[in-house]
Amino acid sequence: MSRITRRSFLKKCGKAARAGALLVGAGAPYVFSRNIVKAAESDTIKVGILHSLSGTIAIIETSLHNAELLAIEEINAKGGVLGKKLQPVVEDPQSMVQVFAEKAKKLLLEDKVVAVLGCYTSASRQSVLPVFEQYNGVLLYPTLYEAQECSKNCFYTGAVPNQQLDDFVPWIINTLGRKKFYLIGANYIYPKETNREVKALLRKHGGQVVAEEYSPLGATEFSTNINKIASSGCDVVFSDLVGDQIVAFYKQFKEFGITAKDIPICTPITTEQEIAAMGPENAVGHYTSFNYFQSVKTPQNQSFVERYKARYGKNAVTNAVMEAAYFETYFLAQAIAKVKSTDPDALIYEGLPGQEFLAPQGKVKIDEKNHHTWLWARIGRANEQGQFDIVWKSDNWIRPQPWVPYLYPDKACDFTDPRVQSRLKKPWSEEKNRSGTINL
Amino acid sequence: MQQIRTDAHIRQVSRTVRNIRHTPMIPLWAIIGGTAIVALIGAYPYYGTDAYVLSLLGKFLCYAIFALSIDLIWGFTGILSLGQAVYFGIGAYVIALSLKMNYTLTHATRYGHKIPDFMEWNGLTEVPHFMTPLMNKPFAVVCALAVPTLLAFLFGAITFKRHIYGVYCAVITLAEALILQDFIIEYQAYTGGFNGITDYSNYSGKWFLWFILAVTVAFFIIARVLTHSRVGTVLKSVRDNELRAEFMGYNVANYRIFVFCVSAFMAATAGAMYAAWVGLVSFLDTGPVYSIEAVIWTAVGGRGTVVGPFVGAFLVKGAEFFLSGTLAEWWQIIVGGLFIAVVLIMPDGIVGSLAKWARHRRRAISREVLEDSEPNVEACQLDWDAGATPKVQEKTR
Amino acid sequence: MVMQSIITQLLNGFSVVAILVIAALGLAIIFGVAGVINMAHGELIMVGAYTAAVVGKAGGNTFIAMPVAFIVVGLLGLAIERGIIQWIYDRPLETLLATWGVGIILQTVIKLIFGPELYYVGAPKILRGGFHLIGRLPFPWYRLFLIVVAACLMALVFVVIFKTNLGLKVRAVRRNRAISGCLGIDTARVDMLIFCFGSGLAGVAGAVLAPIKSVSTTMGFPYAVDSYMVLVLGGVGNLWGVVAGSGLIGEAETILSFIFNNVIGRLLVFLFIVVIIRIVPRGIFGYSERQ
Repeated sequence: MSRITRRSFLKKCGKAARAGALLVGAGAPYVFSRNIVKAAESDTIKVGILHSLSGTIAIIETSLHNAELLAIEEINAKGGVLGKKLQPVVEDPQSMVQVFAEKAKKLLLEDKVVAVLGCYTSASRQSVLPVFEQYNGVLLYPTLYEAQECSKNCFYTGAVPNQQLDDFVPWIINTLGRKKFYLIGANYIYPKETNREVKALLRKHGGQVVAEEYSPLGATEFSTNINKIASSGCDVVFSDLVGDQIVAFYKQFKEFGITAKDIPICTPITTEQEIAAMGPENAVGHYTSFNYFQSVKTPQNQSFVERYKARYGKNAVTNAVMEAAYFETYFLAQAIAKVKSTDPDALIYEGLPGQEFLAPQGKVKIDEKNHHTWLWARIGRANEQGQFDIVWKSDNWIRPQPWVPYLYPDKACDFTDPRVQSRLKKPWSEEKNRSGTINL
Repeated sequence: MQQIRTDAHIRQVSRTVRNIRHTPMIPLWAIIGGTAIVALIGAYPYYGTDAYVLSLLGKFLCYAIFALSIDLIWGFTGILSLGQAVYFGIGAYVIALSLKMNYTLTHATRYGHKIPDFMEWNGLTEVPHFMTPLMNKPFAVVCALAVPTLLAFLFGAITFKRHIYGVYCAVITLAEALILQDFIIEYQAYTGGFNGITDYSNYSGKWFLWFILAVTVAFFIIARVLTHSRVGTVLKSVRDNELRAEFMGYNVANYRIFVFCVSAFMAATAGAMYAAWVGLVSFLDTGPVYSIEAVIWTAVGGRGTVVGPFVGAFLVKGAEFFLSGTLAEWWQIIVGGLFIAVVLIMPDGIVGSLAKWARHRRRAISREVLEDSEPNVEACQLDWDAGATPKVQEKTR
Repeated sequence: MVMQSIITQLLNGFSVVAILVIAALGLAIIFGVAGVINMAHGELIMVGAYTAAVVGKAGGNTFIAMPVAFIVVGLLGLAIERGIIQWIYDRPLETLLATWGVGIILQTVIKLIFGPELYYVGAPKILRGGFHLIGRLPFPWYRLFLIVVAACLMALVFVVIFKTNLGLKVRAVRRNRAISGCLGIDTARVDMLIFCFGSGLAGVAGAVLAPIKSVSTTMGFPYAVDSYMVLVLGGVGNLWGVVAGSGLIGEAETILSFIFNNVIGRLLVFLFIVVIIRIVPRGIFGYSERQ
């Protein structure tokens, strides 16, 4: 027998009124979608997936979305977490930052997901962070990014510049013997911050910047830039171009008769996916620094590539960001199992920090202090098959440093620091600074 | 059939005629319906607890105003602007910049300094002098509203005075929107560039919702009064036949510039409130894609009607927010289909079609009344447009 | 050294102009003759590029892809015209909305078929590499090929418009639709064929541009924008307008980008367009209609 208590009655009234308001305001679909969501509430743990499936960034974000779904299926096949299945709640932010923020809010407040796996660009991450901080959600962010950030509510499983550049730049100077750098990038925060670190490393290791140039995002005509590169006297191009720019740039670079022997392109971004799109012949001999390549020879990776191809077709290629998206899903599952709860603060303070996983690239770990991830560093040279020959690999995993010491000697990120902890104990309404940055 | 003329008949006829010719400025149903909707939205903080729905309501109201601003120039005047988001965007950016700079005074950014982060990663160490006045919030509000209006005036003076209308106007406004977008991305030290401006203290309480609601109501009343006044009649005549309007002695360009400025002012207000409410602006808010999206809200709701943009914005945006998650890719096809359907099947939009239907009905009734009475009511017959009558006659007989 | 760079840059400019001409030509026909604001133009180019990708997979090269793309996209254009555009010729501003919807649908459908990732299209073997003309950099054969294609397409359009029976009718309809109709020209059929032809040209553009650019479902919009700028600057309804518009925009953009940078180059070009429009509202070679 169901009793109608005062509270449940009021709740129902509220819901009815709200449904009324939205029928007027936003239309009937709202009511339907709520009912669907309600059906499977108790026996699952909801995980938000927030990657663009339409618009310009969908090119790369769809693969992250796929990798996360694969991981969730695998976890569920092994019996799920705490005896419950993980239920992905998929939203499509359409490559627009406003929609990212909007959907993040929906996932946290409406669907009440335990955590969100999502975002790709720095812009999208920055747009959703205030939402996660205000409503105390958990975001796992798989992309390599420019660092100088650490938020209580975000766990960064992609590489930060010190894991990609600290060995790469000296390697270019010493092993390749090339000192005159031409920096070219897309015109936004990631390339600008990355190039700042590259320039600092060049000062340290005796390299030289010939020119630094930024091209509008989405521009795919590079003949002018290539002409400038040729007449600048540089002997290596360091590229932070992103997305379809990469494809156009490599193609046109080759077209104008510059080979990797004359001027190699070195980059922390270009993956197997872009190489497949430009054709391997346009990428041969150019270098990429990443923590993961599809050609990494670990048993975990071989099985990962097999499973991915079995699920998404034999032509599918894997890449570093996708791999990070894959293992961050495991991080989350392990963390929930560890704290036996879906409480965000339990996950943030106990569950996720220190979590280890044997990922395709090797063993990875979320740093206990700064929410970033210990990763391996590798340098690959593109070959004729569209894969990378790994020409250098770090001896050990590398500690993430959101604040690199050669640019910010007086800063660090440490969530175990008592100053940070006392600050974060306060509710958001009193203390809006949710960053773990401290001045040393 | 022979009918006897009675006083009652005459009264009825004259009342019907009055109804046709003199619709009131704001009809009763609009007052009642409008009040109900305003009450429903305005009272949400009391019966609803969902912060997400609350945030959507405020946002949708801003969209509705933006769509209304497009309706004013497109639906009523026949200027299709693909750059209307420029005015929305400037309003939004000015407010967002002001709020962001004030916020960083008290809350250090992720770099730990008291200037906006986008300035810092572009190598600025302090807020540039020409931007400091914006930190004064009232001044920022004035700027956010005045700058777009002035820009619209300038733009209107350039294009309309040179008789650039229709397709050309659409393409030039497109260029305008692209210029602003490129400008924002290039001068990222001052605008936040590709990442936009985020993480500042926004106004999200019920008071601000009421404020937005009040502004919305005010704008809808202004739009109604404007379009149903003499000016509105001239605008419609300009839309329907520009040449004749010009020969009648109206200065067509000036009317266009005037309505363009009004519409830019509305868009800027919507943008300013949007930035303050949502706490996030991006270069996409100024771009042609956003403008075209708003054009479609207007078209779905019913252009040339004042209520249409409101209905369209709420329906399309609402459906998008609730369907795009579950339907993901198919949602895009639905949107595309909507564009085509609204043009081919329902060019008057939802409200427009309803209004047309209601008008026909009214005329049908009045015709019935008139037929039953004396057939010689010249004044009334002159007032009917030819298209509506034949069908109605068949029906009534 | 500087002189050499500038000359190389001028040459590059020619190839950029050629790209603009190729992309804008189809639109010039549809917009200039049929009077349709085709916002799906970029997506037609995109479909052409995907056609080239499919042809490439099947073992063909660009030379085969060009006619195939012309037919495929031409037929697609035919379908769009018969299904949608034919009902709304008298409402030009609304063709904008409907074709925008067509564009969204095309993007989504292509994504559902081919997946969201970037696609690979290679250049034919004999067009790889380049020849030394001046300066350090060779001038790529493929860019020369683009210039040749642009010239050929222009010639083709000239022949079709000025030397064929259809072209005569097209010009008549363009001048005065009502009287053409009275004289027995099937104006609806002319519109249909011209839309079909314009779409086919957009398809060829996609097939030709695919080897040097990236191929994705969202690649179209920038081309559509550039094409509109070309037409507005050059003037609608005159084919020389396409050349003039492309020439000015292409050379100005490459040279300004070389002197300053890409972003400022683009900004200046847009400002330049607005100023030109202020002086000659109908474009440089604008067709002045007497009302």
